[in-house]
Amino acid sequence: MPCKLKEKERTGVINPIFTCQPAGAQYASIGIQDCIGIVHGGQGCVMFVRLWFSQHYKESFELASSSLHEDAAVFGGIHRVEEAVDVLLMRYPHVKVVPIITTCSTEVIGDDIDGVINKLNEGLLKEKYANREVHLIPIHTPSFKGSHVTGYDVGMEAIISHFAKKDKPQKKLNILTGWQNPGDVRTLKHLLSEMEVDANIIFDIEKFDAPLMPDGNHTAHGSTTIEDLENTGSAIGTIALNRYESGRAAAYLEKTFGIPTIIGPSPIGIRNTDTFLQNVKTLTGKSIPQSLVRERGIAIDAITDVAHMFLADKRVAIYGNPDLVIGLTEFCLDMEMKPVLLLLGDDNTNYAADKRIKVLQENINYDMEIITNADLWNLGDLLQNKGLKLDLILGHSKGRFIAMDNKIPLVRVGFPVFDRAGYYRDPTIGYEGAMLLAEKIANVWFTDMEYTQNKEWLLNMW
Amino acid sequence: MPYHQFECSKCIPERIKHAVDKTKNDLTEALPLGYLNTIPGTLSERGCAYCGAKHVIGTPMKDVIHLSHGPIGCTYDTWQTKRYISDNDNFQIKYTFASDMKEKHIVFGAEKVLKNNIIEAFKAFPKIKRMTIYQTCASALIGDDIKAIANEIMDEMPDVDIFVCNSPGFAGPSQSGGHHKINLAWVNDKVGQVEPKITSDYVINYVGEYNIQGDQEVMQDYFKRMGIQILSTFTGNGSYDDLRAMHRAQLNVLECARSAEYICDELRKRYGIPRMDIDGFGFKALTSSLRKIGLFFGIEDRAEAIIEEETKRWKPELDWYAARLQGKKICLWPGGSKLWHWAHIIHEEMGLEVVSVYTKFGHQGDMEKGISRCEAGALAIDDPNELESLEAMYKLKPDLIVTGKRPGEVAKKIRVPYLNAHAYHNGPYKGFEGWVRFARDIYNAVYSPIHKLSLTDISKDEITTDKSFVTRQMLSDDQLDESIINSEKLHEYTGEFDSVKKLRRKEYPQYPMKGKLAAV
Repeated sequence: MPCKLKEKERTGVINPIFTCQPAGAQYASIGIQDCIGIVHGGQGCVMFVRLWFSQHYKESFELASSSLHEDAAVFGGIHRVEEAVDVLLMRYPHVKVVPIITTCSTEVIGDDIDGVINKLNEGLLKEKYANREVHLIPIHTPSFKGSHVTGYDVGMEAIISHFAKKDKPQKKLNILTGWQNPGDVRTLKHLLSEMEVDANIIFDIEKFDAPLMPDGNHTAHGSTTIEDLENTGSAIGTIALNRYESGRAAAYLEKTFGIPTIIGPSPIGIRNTDTFLQNVKTLTGKSIPQSLVRERGIAIDAITDVAHMFLADKRVAIYGNPDLVIGLTEFCLDMEMKPVLLLLGDDNTNYAADKRIKVLQENINYDMEIITNADLWNLGDLLQNKGLKLDLILGHSKGRFIAMDNKIPLVRVGFPVFDRAGYYRDPTIGYEGAMLLAEKIANVWFTDMEYTQNKEWLLNMW
Repeated sequence: MPYHQFECSKCIPERIKHAVDKTKNDLTEALPLGYLNTIPGTLSERGCAYCGAKHVIGTPMKDVIHLSHGPIGCTYDTWQTKRYISDNDNFQIKYTFASDMKEKHIVFGAEKVLKNNIIEAFKAFPKIKRMTIYQTCASALIGDDIKAIANEIMDEMPDVDIFVCNSPGFAGPSQSGGHHKINLAWVNDKVGQVEPKITSDYVINYVGEYNIQGDQEVMQDYFKRMGIQILSTFTGNGSYDDLRAMHRAQLNVLECARSAEYICDELRKRYGIPRMDIDGFGFKALTSSLRKIGLFFGIEDRAEAIIEEETKRWKPELDWYAARLQGKKICLWPGGSKLWHWAHIIHEEMGLEVVSVYTKFGHQGDMEKGISRCEAGALAIDDPNELESLEAMYKLKPDLIVTGKRPGEVAKKIRVPYLNAHAYHNGPYKGFEGWVRFARDIYNAVYSPIHKLSLTDISKDEITTDKSFVTRQMLSDDQLDESIINSEKLHEYTGEFDSVKKLRRKEYPQYPMKGKLAAV
């Protein structure tokens, strides 16, 4: 079989593709308005994740720590959660939602955050904050399980299961995004508005791209409200864009409220965007307007300009979040490229049963390797020592040195992208995303042709 | 005590002793509390003791596999988030290693998997024979004996050497706990194991220097020009085996006393090596530092020659910026030692008014030095948090803050430009040329025309239509004295984008040895 799925052979990690669960829960939490999450663990678990977000967005996001120190590690640190909640609520009077996010240390110690939330609900919140709406939400994200991808999935499920209510008057279509960028949310809103669909986008992170204004403090923050979250339980349908990032919350809503639900595929590329629109049509009964036919046409026109002349048969490696990697692979195949190596950074056992991977295995007629629990050294080692030949790499900025040292151009896509400006503004989904991705891939390739003098004259006339 | 009451922190009374307004006469009393446990939920800027050990001190070592024993996040977070370069193609920046502890390891222990990991890592990079292993919260709590595993490997693989640092994230109020732990672990476990080749009569360890954007290489250039042998650098651009030979130096030249005074003090106790605190930032401080070292070894003339040459070359450029930065207000908000490295010298040499100093992980000693060196009226904050920083910036209205990357984004949103204190904007900032680069970066930030545009509200303000562009100089020279504007002596920075690379190709004068080792 030319398409092999296998696990990385080494036990350790050299240059990780993925980070740990609490980071994912933190990414979910910053999507909610009037929300500051408290991470119960060492201070680094927050400080570095805030830095990570700020590297990608060049913005700062609010997250707090219970600041676990030595005494707490020995005697238990649950009292620090109590103190953190009180201090946070006193000093941030607008905050209504406080996810309590665990880490490896506090899960190993066995601090009972569900218990302390009950205690706070019955005690502190009733006594001191009686007239204030406050939601404390436990999110269990031990760092030694899953990855930031499952952390986001678990976080979104915890938040939605806390808020979702049935019989709310608003009947919208739930769109559970997953790990997207503001540009993705913008393009989603556009597609849905063209179809005249009233959608509830969870999480609405369009405002992560925050302005520098002449007055006030316009710090970046998500704008999903408590009401939006409550409304998810009364929706006419749910689409989860990414199986591994919003699949749990979608399944929860389906099971609990009987909401018709479609999980995936990520609308990356023309074909998957078509599927997405068809799914929207199925769940809402709305039709696809001419404006989107035209938008699709513009994208296809642009992609046609670069696909078979330049991109055909280019060998590419792709790494990052699983839904993104699979979506990009499918899009690359549509553009006649050859994804030869896919790296998925965690040991999720569901990948083998993923229908999209099975279809790849059934239809690929050249050698493709999909490595799970992978790290970037899988890529570096293959390039440096095992003779892997590549034309391009698609992935996030953490792979920049592997790409540079092996002189393979890297198209930045995914999270984090900190070594290129403004990429969070570009969608990777929808027709616009497909077009921008194709052009970005082509332009990166063109630059490489020029600076390596690899048929650079070809572009003399195009 | 002239404690400073932040409005936002009135509800947490214990915070009051962490901020002080420096008054004119009350210097002895103006000392905030420091290095105490963080108040949970404050949005403090502190990191953890693991990062203090691994990311600040351990990883700048350049010829080493740096492996963290724990879940993946600790490793991921401390990879590609600092700018400690090296002259061996940045191996320490490019590669990071993790044992990737999973749930089954938490239950059954992860010693076996760690051992596999170590073997795999050496196999993947066969030319590298040295390794550091860092404990994390998870591996500390399950009680893995990392040292035992390291010893097993060293028995089985005689050509490798492994250093273990047990500094889990929770070990102390901030990253400073980790600095302390790794200092002591290194001197206890590794110093004295390698006998170095002595090639000069004057032999130093350069300690507490992390080669941010090339700082170490700039200072190394001066030392080499003075004929001084740098046995080791702890740790920027430093070599593992060189650092095992620290006991043979005649002098420890200490830069960042916050993060590395512990090892200097131990080396003095155990090996009788004196400690000399120096300062590579600022013309005056650097001049007296080079003089002190020259004096110690009796080679003052060599120091003077460098001081003269460098001052002549770079002072007119520094002064060009200084003339344009007079009276600009700055919040000096670094991590630890830079608050006192910079407090007085940016005032004296660039004319900046330090309106606030803060430290994320410094101790009271750092505050004492910082406060004594900054201007009266300055606000000193220990373990600042986000609301206090915002309140301070609104009140003080600084022209610039010098802080970390993410807090810099907070400042940006309220229209205060920022410079990166930890990783620098366009460093290095040490050395004579480096100090000009710092002044240049400050000038560029303070007079950024685009940043100034953010102050205009086009819906309310009169829009000036007479200018289609503005340069920094149009802003900075508007009120400036003609004699300065027309000065033929002063000029802008003339160095290159990368001021460090050329140092790596440089050849140095050979001074014949006179001492007792000369015959060897």
